[in-house]
Amino acid sequence: MQQHSFDVIVVGGGGAGLRAAIAAASADDSLQVAMLSKVYPMRSHTVAAEGGAAAVTRDDDSYAAHFEDTVAGGDWLAEQGVVDYFVRHAHAELVQMERWGCPWSRRPDGHVQVRRFGGMKTERTWFAADKTGFHMLHTLYQTSLKYPNIQRFDEYFVLDLITDESGIGGVIALQISTGELHVLYANAVIMATGGAGRVFRFNTNGGIVTGDGMAIAYRHGVALRDMEFVQYHPTGLPGSGILITEASRGEGGVLLNKDHYRYLQDYDLGPETPLGEPKNKYMELGPRDKLSQAFWHEQQQGRTGKHGESDVVYLDLRHLGAEFLHERLPFICELAKAYVNVDPVKEPIPIRPAVHYTMGGIMTDSQCETSIGGLYAVGECASVGLHGANRLGSNSLSELLVFGRLAGEKAARRARAFANKQHHNLLQARSKAILATWEDKIAGLMDTSTRDPKSRSWAELKQALVTTMETGCGIYRQESALQETLETIRALKADYQDVRIEDQSGVYNTDLLHCIELEFSLDVAEAICLAALERRESRGAHQRLEPELTQRNDREFLKHSLVSWENERAVLRWQDVDTSLSAPGERAYGDQRKTRQADNGGAA
Amino acid sequence: MNVQTRAIEVTRYSPERDKEPYLQRYDVPFDESTSILDALNYIKEHIDATLSYRWSCRMAICGSCGVMVNGIPKLGCKDFLRLYDHTPETPIRIEPLAHFSVERDLIVNMDEFLTHLEAVKPYIIGDNVDTASLPAEASLQSPAQLSRYQQFANCINCGLCYAACPQFGLNPEFVGPGAIALAHRYNLDSRDHGKTERMPLLNSKNGVWSCTFVGFCSDVCPKGVDPAAAVNQGKVDSAKSMLIQLFKGSQLQGEHQ
Amino acid sequence: MSYKTSLSGSWWRKHRFFKLYMLREATVLPLAFLLCSLLAGVFSLQDAERFAQWQSFMGNPLIVAVHLIALLASLYHAFTFFQLFPRVMPIRLGDKTLPAQWLVAAQWLAVVVIIAIVLWVVSGGEP
Repeated sequence: MQQHSFDVIVVGGGGAGLRAAIAAASADDSLQVAMLSKVYPMRSHTVAAEGGAAAVTRDDDSYAAHFEDTVAGGDWLAEQGVVDYFVRHAHAELVQMERWGCPWSRRPDGHVQVRRFGGMKTERTWFAADKTGFHMLHTLYQTSLKYPNIQRFDEYFVLDLITDESGIGGVIALQISTGELHVLYANAVIMATGGAGRVFRFNTNGGIVTGDGMAIAYRHGVALRDMEFVQYHPTGLPGSGILITEASRGEGGVLLNKDHYRYLQDYDLGPETPLGEPKNKYMELGPRDKLSQAFWHEQQQGRTGKHGESDVVYLDLRHLGAEFLHERLPFICELAKAYVNVDPVKEPIPIRPAVHYTMGGIMTDSQCETSIGGLYAVGECASVGLHGANRLGSNSLSELLVFGRLAGEKAARRARAFANKQHHNLLQARSKAILATWEDKIAGLMDTSTRDPKSRSWAELKQALVTTMETGCGIYRQESALQETLETIRALKADYQDVRIEDQSGVYNTDLLHCIELEFSLDVAEAICLAALERRESRGAHQRLEPELTQRNDREFLKHSLVSWENERAVLRWQDVDTSLSAPGERAYGDQRKTRQADNGGAA
Repeated sequence: MNVQTRAIEVTRYSPERDKEPYLQRYDVPFDESTSILDALNYIKEHIDATLSYRWSCRMAICGSCGVMVNGIPKLGCKDFLRLYDHTPETPIRIEPLAHFSVERDLIVNMDEFLTHLEAVKPYIIGDNVDTASLPAEASLQSPAQLSRYQQFANCINCGLCYAACPQFGLNPEFVGPGAIALAHRYNLDSRDHGKTERMPLLNSKNGVWSCTFVGFCSDVCPKGVDPAAAVNQGKVDSAKSMLIQLFKGSQLQGEHQ
Repeated sequence: MSYKTSLSGSWWRKHRFFKLYMLREATVLPLAFLLCSLLAGVFSLQDAERFAQWQSFMGNPLIVAVHLIALLASLYHAFTFFQLFPRVMPIRLGDKTLPAQWLVAAQWLAVVVIIAIVLWVVSGGEP
């Protein structure tokens, strides 16, 4: 066992973690910042974000407009003070990225170009071709190299937190290359561990997106908030689930069913907009939840096509022309060719919805701090309250910058304030105990002599988990299936106790790694399912099929769900939502907006 | 239904157990869409849980899953079983990336590349950007200025070019194609003023002149970055910078030390 | 302990790409021979007898064959060089980079023009 002491520890090396580490390191260059990540930073899943990052940019745009889009897009479940802070700070962060070298796409006059995005009433999405997340992540990683006080621990898997009465004290991590356990002390820890999309079978996420950080905080009593809101991206490739960016619709792509009909006009998103003239908030530029739900209905009515085993609809980009597609959407052309053998210049791309993003996460206050003092959370693993019941595309890349910096600065301040904290003995005793627990646990997993012959492998349990999540917690949900899924998850948790691993090695033991990840995923899945079961209404990405639950019910459910781990079980509570700036209204897209506004006397 | 299978040989190596790597054979089911990575995942989850390799995004952007497939560096997720002839006698051979130290099975020591990458100062220098106060204005950059370096900014750090480069194989101190491409990307960026800081390393014996333009690095690059072009454009820059140094002599050298 | 690999001397035989590379590099051998022959010719100019010896040496069918190989080698080397040139020295006009084929064609055109000028000079400058 090795011990290290730092001022600030960042867990996770994706966009949020890097931005937070840079903020903490530059706030005070005498602070020592450690960044631990289970993969090299540029492998983090921020890399796969394609479309762009939103910020009020044009003269005809306003903070109020971005605020309204975000709050309405989240079906009034966003924390409005947080949204307000976000829209006011997003632009400066994107400018900062520009100054750090991010290769934003440009207008002929050299200014940064913005594009349309779903659910946004104005063009405000900054982009770097269709690899925005990739370019942002690499820019952040490369920029982080300038700071000698950031020490990276690449391929270190954080397993647990060390806490005491005054708050956080450090983390326990497994060095993947050796199997050695490390104790790292710090008075401020930032969780930036990403989402949990891999608890679903069909998803756009990388294999690493297993909800680790959420589960670690949850096991220490921090609530997971709004976990039932899982975003299905409407355009994933069949089979793999690989993401086809929303920007392809922002640039004018249209969705067709098997009869070549633009079916979105049948789902309150019309009227049909002319080909090549995309209109904000109409048709293909509706929000992701509505579009994914429309797919489900088309599928029910037998109007979807087939690609291999998958039911699909089609994303048609042909009218945009080869030159435009190769300039604006080169990655999409590459992905479609490689993974479904389709040249988007010549043929429509078969697509279907896939789990993409967890709106919920580790509950924090507006300053990114959790209920454990000095423990912060930021990015997809966190629920700072920005996205509510449905995230608008291109808000999350800006989120990780705005709140990454905030968390980094807060953590730096905390580290300075607690620099002389006298609690090392207690913390060392605690860490020793936690360390011993993990040593036992790992030894237990490797102890094949006690293996129950009927026990299943982590791979089998994982397969069962992702399948039941898709069945029970999909685009549309209902009591019976949710109940069944919850029971299945709990049975899987029981089965997990008998799991053993084959690999006895200390060096790059990925068998052990995936086995531990599964335990984290099971916790997160249970929280998702429990919250989905208890939210007896339909809101944003959470849609119930029971006839009496198909509408939003503000009277009972204008509330955040909080799932906490208490006395060895998941407990659900409700928390009021900050709606101080904009009263809940009707969420409308397409021409419905006009109708609704007229009905309400223009008060929407 | 009759499931087709395909024979695969994978390098196994455990430093705790083996003196040197060996090949192990597996038969995996496949269809038209099965990638090399899918095959490895199948082995891991259904046949042999002890096989170790890196992967994540499975869409050719995270750069984790570089391996040698029949001797050629490839991204496991962007190479497909259907592309290889199949007989039981000629299995598809999957090995760790060449020229790197092997840590375990298909996992190599990536630090051998990243050390070089981090040495070329791959960030904007001299823009006086300070994070304590966020800058108010974005700089201007025309599409033409952007297009000068854009291609070289597409490197995903997968390391395939290093596995393709015999010069790196012979001399691990060679800064190498990926890192030099990144240095060149910043040298070409209209916002950057750090070229004089990067050139000493590129001019050195392990810099651009270690390259003999074999060109295979560009051939295997999964992202069309063309690192060989970057390295050889770097030679032009290096020649210029050395000439300038020759004329200015000690004056410039003094600045760099 | 990680396993260190090393490159064997036969690395270049494993792939066609490397073989062509070695061929390109090997073009220097017949060219070096040609240069030495020409250099010997220059030195032999001091003495009529030695110059005659040199002339008969150059007329030897084996030497002619080697020099023919040198011609082919230089053409092959020129071919590879011309192919690589647009990547090393991309020429930009405004926003666009000139297409690589244009640059390759321009180089071959230059070769033809230079040969024509040399032939014209050698032939005594007659039109």
